[in-house]
Amino acid sequence: MCGWAQAEIPTLEELLAAAQQQQLSERPAWWALLHYRPTVLGWTHKSQADDPRFFLAKNGKTDPHGELTATLIALRNGDGQGTHPQCRFPARFYWLQQQGHPFSRIPAVPCPQLASWLEQLNTARVTLVFASSYLNSPSSMFGHTFLRLDPPSFNQDSLILASTVSYAADAAAHDSEIMFAYRGIFGGYPGITTVEPYFDKLRLYSKLENRDLWEYALNLRPDEVTQLLRHVWEIKDKRFDYFFFDENCAYRLLALIDVARPGTRLIPQVSILRAIPSDTVRIVVANHLVDSVYFRPSQATELRHHLSQLKASERHWVFSMNESQQLPSEKATAGLAPERYAAVLETAYELVRYRVQKEQLSREATADLSYGLLQARSKIPGSSPLSAAPRPKVRDDQGHPTGRITAMAGRQGQRPYLGLSLRPAYHDFSDPAPGYRLGSQLQFLNAELRYYWESNQFELEQLNLVDIISLSARDRFFRPISWQAGFGADRQLTSEGTRPLAAYLKGGAGVSYGIAHGLAYALATGTGRIGTQLQDSYQLSPGIALGWNLQRYWGSFRVEAQSQFFPGQNEDPYYRGSASLNLYWPPGWGLTFNIGREKSGDFYAIILQGGVRLYF
Amino acid sequence: MRKVFLGLLLAAISGFAFADSGPGCGAGSVLFKGQDRLAPHVLAATTNASFGNQTFGMTTGTLGCDTSKPIDVMAANFFDQNMEQLATDMSRGEGEHLNALITLMKVQEADKDHFKATVKNQFSVIFPNQNVTSKEALSGLEKVMKGDTALAKYLS
Repeated sequence: MCGWAQAEIPTLEELLAAAQQQQLSERPAWWALLHYRPTVLGWTHKSQADDPRFFLAKNGKTDPHGELTATLIALRNGDGQGTHPQCRFPARFYWLQQQGHPFSRIPAVPCPQLASWLEQLNTARVTLVFASSYLNSPSSMFGHTFLRLDPPSFNQDSLILASTVSYAADAAAHDSEIMFAYRGIFGGYPGITTVEPYFDKLRLYSKLENRDLWEYALNLRPDEVTQLLRHVWEIKDKRFDYFFFDENCAYRLLALIDVARPGTRLIPQVSILRAIPSDTVRIVVANHLVDSVYFRPSQATELRHHLSQLKASERHWVFSMNESQQLPSEKATAGLAPERYAAVLETAYELVRYRVQKEQLSREATADLSYGLLQARSKIPGSSPLSAAPRPKVRDDQGHPTGRITAMAGRQGQRPYLGLSLRPAYHDFSDPAPGYRLGSQLQFLNAELRYYWESNQFELEQLNLVDIISLSARDRFFRPISWQAGFGADRQLTSEGTRPLAAYLKGGAGVSYGIAHGLAYALATGTGRIGTQLQDSYQLSPGIALGWNLQRYWGSFRVEAQSQFFPGQNEDPYYRGSASLNLYWPPGWGLTFNIGREKSGDFYAIILQGGVRLYF
Repeated sequence: MRKVFLGLLLAAISGFAFADSGPGCGAGSVLFKGQDRLAPHVLAATTNASFGNQTFGMTTGTLGCDTSKPIDVMAANFFDQNMEQLATDMSRGEGEHLNALITLMKVQEADKDHFKATVKNQFSVIFPNQNVTSKEALSGLEKVMKGDTALAKYLS
């Protein structure tokens, strides 16, 4: 009997021969499990995992076949480490078992730690959560995604207790933001996969950062959910170098889904060098992985919506409580119906808490009022009549695709040209507004090339490496600073009449107000330019920019006037006025028209331009 | 069901390393926290970073919580971690965090509305002032539940 039982266990030779015959190491599912991606020329593969502990073969990072061989040996025979390879790499083991005889007959060893981990996570469904951008922080426009592991008793009562899985850069707390940005872009941070409770995430995103959350319930089957978790187990303490633009949070989650459901192949659908979270959500939606979508408004969204439901006199109470840091006397509010007073108290409390975070108000200054508001609210029975913030008509993943190409024709002064511009990411004021936050602009690597046919010259008109503008309307309750920042290279008229290409770094800060359905803004700006063809090889110029920006579903309109001065330099002030009109039609396409005039010293030029846009 | 929520809570408390440490659960958390501790969190979320090594908290032994307390250690941890949201929900007698606490305390369907109404009515007992710590607030909650015939059975 003993001999018979042993005969059932496949020999190593059998396993390796079968693997060879079925070409397992060339299967996309194997590549997904090991995070292999084709190298530049596509002939060889390299894994994105940067942790030797993730591989069983010495050269596993670059050798899918060798890694498979080592894996088969280890899964069958063990490798003498404290924990059996089957328990360290359960997703691989499961996948191999699915490949039929002889793999399915490799005897399984018990993995109590893994089993109890899975039991504790107790996951029936997986939900992809997308944290959208938040007001006044265009860098957050990049968004963030993580997975939520929903228990079988999926309901509102237990949801915030669910666990989440996210992949993030493991930055030390003392690293400065600049260092963080640098290392994030150019590499150097280990990325780690972490498991945290959803209520922690909610506090972070919804309350501290005021980011609306979109929850996409995925339609993964129970066996796929388990496989996803097995793979989380495999990678959760393994190092994957983190890069903001591509190998980021969103990217790694797609890889998890690829493992969970072999054949989805989401990773190959990600554009090169830009795994923008909203784009990755688009990919997940397009691959029919989403069952339903739930919107969870942030604290700020709720606050705005609640304010909008109050009458003017009630809003005044909210405002005056925040100003005086005091509750009104009972006599003063006697005229308010109890449920209306409850609404006022709730909204006033939300405003205090919002301002504590946003304006860094101290605990001492606000705790009395906060507590007083809660206590007063508890004394009014029943619910307030305030309704929850509605779900936006257009989701963040339903906005325009982030890539844009524009073909244009125009005149720069007396010189006609044809132009082509390419903007790989992400969004500017001239793009369709739905799905994006009004007043926010974030662009990377926006490049424009012109061909002046009369002189047969090609010229780089501009290359904006980073271009950020954040306009947030101020009102009685919200007092954000509007700002802009950017660097790159562009051309600007000088008082010698030339338009040399120069590198620039600019910044600005000011205020915006909602006027006539649009945003009117005034910014004080500072620009530094360096270029060999500039008069002193450099320019330093304070300036101002005034404008009005209207963004609607049909298109957008913007007028702007700006001036720059050059104190201490032999350069006349520069003025520029411009107007642009953009129309979005048909879907995925747009028309853009610009007219402008720039002046420097005795020289001026009128610029006219029209173009057709395609989003991709 | 108990197992389900035990699992949930073990998962939930994995972030506990961030909580104020001290003897017993939540000895240091004050109802309204100041600003000083927020900055790294904000940076973390903005930049998709994670600060600190959040390994999965699998054992309750390391949490420094006194499990002999009448309120279950999981519920107590949740209370400590979400005190401000719980105070908000309790003042209104409704809300997601209050629902979660009720779930963790294993309050039966029939008593849920009563629980919500009671903590709302007794808000000032649970949160007697703006400086209340989570430990004190938990004692307040215990007191309120003990004094209520329908809720006393949920204390161990």
